[in-house]
Amino acid sequence: MTQNQMLPDKDLLTTTLADLRRSVREYATAATEASCPTVRQMFTQLTDSTLKMQGEMYQLMSSNNMYNAPSQAARQEVSKRLQSAQQTQTQDQQFVQQHLSGGMGMSMGSGDNQSHPGSTSQYS
Amino acid sequence: MNNQQMQALTCKELEYISDCISNESMQIKLCSTIAAQTQNQSIRQACQQYVQTHEQHMQMLADCLRQHEQLAPAQLQ
Repeated sequence: MTQNQMLPDKDLLTTTLADLRRSVREYATAATEASCPTVRQMFTQLTDSTLKMQGEMYQLMSSNNMYNAPSQAARQEVSKRLQSAQQTQTQDQQFVQQHLSGGMGMSMGSGDNQSHPGSTSQYS
Repeated sequence: MNNQQMQALTCKELEYISDCISNESMQIKLCSTIAAQTQNQSIRQACQQYVQTHEQHMQMLADCLRQHEQLAPAQLQ
């Protein structure tokens, strides 16, 4: 049987996995660009379903030693990024406070204030 | 699906649906090929399942076209 194969399992599964990744992106993009609510709902369901299938196929390949995950990130690098993320969060909190709590005349997009009335509470 | 919500398809939506039907068709063929040729039982079962899922996706896309067919203007203004 094996010598009759056009391509080994691993190559076929790799191609299929890449194709699923592309499909997930395409369905997600289609959902964002849909005008009809029922079409948007369908593309959203197809995004979820395809994403689930892609995850399952990755696990299947991984458990059959057909997929090498990228190397692990060093703790030092993770810590550095965490520190940077915390700084960004602090700066964003300050930005939001300046612009939303009494920030008169400083607001860049005053129309946005109404649409995010509860956004500061996410950071508290 | 709620008929009241349904609107005529835009050209963009139609293009996406057509492209996605082609993608699903390719996936059905790929997964069938793998299921037919593999010696690995877990891969065979998974791929048979994927074929069914892709067929369901294909059906959803075709149903969507069918449901919107009558809403499409017969003549463009």
